[in-house]
Amino acid sequence: MYVTRAVMEKIDRHYERGVKDLAAAVAKKALEGIDGVDYVLVASSLSYVQEPQLDLGAHIAYSLGLRGARAISVEAGEASGLAAVELAGALLKSKASRVLVIGVDKLTNFTSAETYAQLSLLYDEGVNMYSSGFGSVAGILMRLYMERYNVDRLTMAHWPALMHANAKHNPYAMLRFAIAPEKVLEAMPMADPITLMDSFPLGDGAAAILLESRPKEALAELAAVEAAVGHPNVAWSEDPLHIESLALAYGRLSEKHDLREVDVVELHDSFTITALMILESIGLAEKGKAAEAVASGRFSVNGDVAVNPSGGLKARGHPIGATGVYQVAEVALQLAGQFPGLKVEGARKGLAVSLNGFGSSSYVAYLRGVE
Amino acid sequence: MPKPEALTGIHGWGAYVPRARISMVDIARQWGWSDHQWKALGMIEKAVAAYDEDATTMGLEAAQNAVRRAGIKGEEVGAVFFGSESKPYAVKPSATIIAEALGITPVTMASDLEFACRAASEGMRASIGLIASGMLKYTLVVGSDTAQASPGDVLEFTASSGAAAFVLGRAEGAAAVFEGSYTYVTDTPDFWRREGAPYPSHGEGFTGEPAYFKHIMEAVKGLLSELGLRPSDFSHAIFHQPNGKFPVRVGEMLGFRQEQLKVGLVTPQIGNTYNASALIGFARVLDYAKPGERVLLAPFGSGAGSDAYSIVITDAIEGKKGLAPTVDHYIRAKRAISYSQYVKMRRMLVK
Amino acid sequence: MMRVKTPPVVWRSRNHRYKLVGSKCKACGEVRFPPVHFCSCGGEVEEVELPRAGRLVSYSIVYAADEESRERSPVIMGLIDLGVTRVVAEIVDASPEEVHSGMQVEAVFRRIGEDGETGVIAYGIKFRPAVG
Repeated sequence: MYVTRAVMEKIDRHYERGVKDLAAAVAKKALEGIDGVDYVLVASSLSYVQEPQLDLGAHIAYSLGLRGARAISVEAGEASGLAAVELAGALLKSKASRVLVIGVDKLTNFTSAETYAQLSLLYDEGVNMYSSGFGSVAGILMRLYMERYNVDRLTMAHWPALMHANAKHNPYAMLRFAIAPEKVLEAMPMADPITLMDSFPLGDGAAAILLESRPKEALAELAAVEAAVGHPNVAWSEDPLHIESLALAYGRLSEKHDLREVDVVELHDSFTITALMILESIGLAEKGKAAEAVASGRFSVNGDVAVNPSGGLKARGHPIGATGVYQVAEVALQLAGQFPGLKVEGARKGLAVSLNGFGSSSYVAYLRGVE
Repeated sequence: MPKPEALTGIHGWGAYVPRARISMVDIARQWGWSDHQWKALGMIEKAVAAYDEDATTMGLEAAQNAVRRAGIKGEEVGAVFFGSESKPYAVKPSATIIAEALGITPVTMASDLEFACRAASEGMRASIGLIASGMLKYTLVVGSDTAQASPGDVLEFTASSGAAAFVLGRAEGAAAVFEGSYTYVTDTPDFWRREGAPYPSHGEGFTGEPAYFKHIMEAVKGLLSELGLRPSDFSHAIFHQPNGKFPVRVGEMLGFRQEQLKVGLVTPQIGNTYNASALIGFARVLDYAKPGERVLLAPFGSGAGSDAYSIVITDAIEGKKGLAPTVDHYIRAKRAISYSQYVKMRRMLVK
Repeated sequence: MMRVKTPPVVWRSRNHRYKLVGSKCKACGEVRFPPVHFCSCGGEVEEVELPRAGRLVSYSIVYAADEESRERSPVIMGLIDLGVTRVVAEIVDASPEEVHSGMQVEAVFRRIGEDGETGVIAYGIKFRPAVG
């Protein structure tokens, strides 16, 4: 199966547009000149709280003029987008030949305090019953990482700095300005040791990809998507810094595919610590060494493997349920040599990594370039 | 036929005092009081409940300690009496929350009692009847308050937070056995809080002679005459402690010596915990009491009324002392807070 | 205001929240709080009261607390090792300067939220520094 269209909206505070407006903007472009689709999959998550609409997939499909189409809504928290891509893959293998995947979400209908409170719903009751704030778990994990591996705060600040440097070139990114690592430490404390600069900005967004089983031409091949569920509460992990569900999904994928020498990865850096945990859980860095590796430039666009050339969740933005669709769109465009931001020259293999929370579920998509 | 009191005893006792303390100096500085003004209250510092504490949470910790000392199962308790004038809900019992958390529910009596600072004591006296009659095996009596005081009012120096709890049951195996009890109440409006009002009002000096002193004196005198006892027959005497001075003075007026009051006087360190005021003092006396000692307990509540109890310590007390944290443990486990932290913790900031 | 602590929710959570009751696998002994329906080994579970003393593994001082918790910000959240399992819970009765990884903590019963200013009060377990 192949990615034949990849459309994104700039992530921003789209006060003037609602969920249906944003979805329509990307879907219209993705369907230009296309003669119908078998399925429309709509990935969204926080919009169910911010702009409540049940059976969202059908409502959006109808608003696109796709009367009579088959539509499915997909909700898997922060991993909704990649979950929808996985489901699209399964449909393409069985009964569909063309599937439109729309990721859309809304984070700015409420104040930031209210939005962060809503985002606590990503976590387990054992955590969110305290209404302590969205960054709580990330803060606990970041301190654990710093104390266990003796890594200082400034070293870890190279991650957001790298994301900002990358996003500066991405026209769809929300935060298009560079920051020095020191600035991360000076920012407002969020959940000490985490500052607001360690986390994603609150923005709305929509992205769409068209997936086809036998297209005449394509941006990239969607070789496989794997998934696994894991501990919804970090207290239950044997090692809270290891994302078991992600290691499992990645392991299943690497059994069938040669994932060595991947050129580009778009991964789920909801917080600086999440990025480091992901890099270590899929073996791109040794345990306790990811922060240093980031600081040394290993994951820069001209490093060993380009990680988040888009700017990642941190700077491109993280419209919760839409993010996975952005990631697949970005990787496909990189493999086609068409990404409008920092390009990973000659990229042949790419991964999109998405998860909810700290791994209640994890998804990994493997994409290959086409000749 | 023996008196109901003689058939009834205390099987477990427990206290709770929140850790935060604000000093009298800090409160005085906030309002520009001179030293001699607050020193007249006989106070050093007062305990302050945290933002997430209320009379129910504090009462539960005291009750957990009491049940631990009693060495009984939750389901053996047949009644939970919760005395408070700072109920988290105006309507909805706190007693059921405590009963639920201790595994006492569902086959039990449970109610919240209100009589200013002596509501819990009413629960204690009612328990004597329920147990002596054979109707119930054990009762749990909890006195707990996050006492409110209008900022800048003299009450702000003393009104504090704390809880005490007692498991009462048959005299057999009890750590202390009742010998007599006596209650004296009249309609005296010395201190009140109207429905919906955030802070209580009081009649200043009117809270003294016609209220506190009159009712405690009458209750204690009534008890002593009924039992044919004199103040010198008691090793310890505990009176309601709205400040550090009143209990000392009422003791003197009744003919008790300073040493008899010393162990049970806790208000100077923790403040007036209202329903737990005399009862935490009583819990501390039990922490120290020796078998054979006789104890006078006289709680008081505005509105107004006082109970007086004569209680005799048994041999069983020694085995129970170490089963839960003592009052002194809670008095020592303290952390100093500023006036601004106090205002934040008691949720007096308006959002 | 997002209502998550409505009367039925508060009511049906009371057993595990009031008493620190978790689940224990009858087959492998794995303990979880809040309780789960099945163990990850596939075994059946039973209710068990957890130990009330533990060690703080790591913590965070949360400044950007939820609207509901703003008046008590900063909130300290900790990862606590109870021996039989770990839990994430709020740390109380300590200022940020007093908290450190490795410290001994003990369970306390506190308010964990309210269903608005006039709604029901939710109670549950938090942890405070242990005093010897």
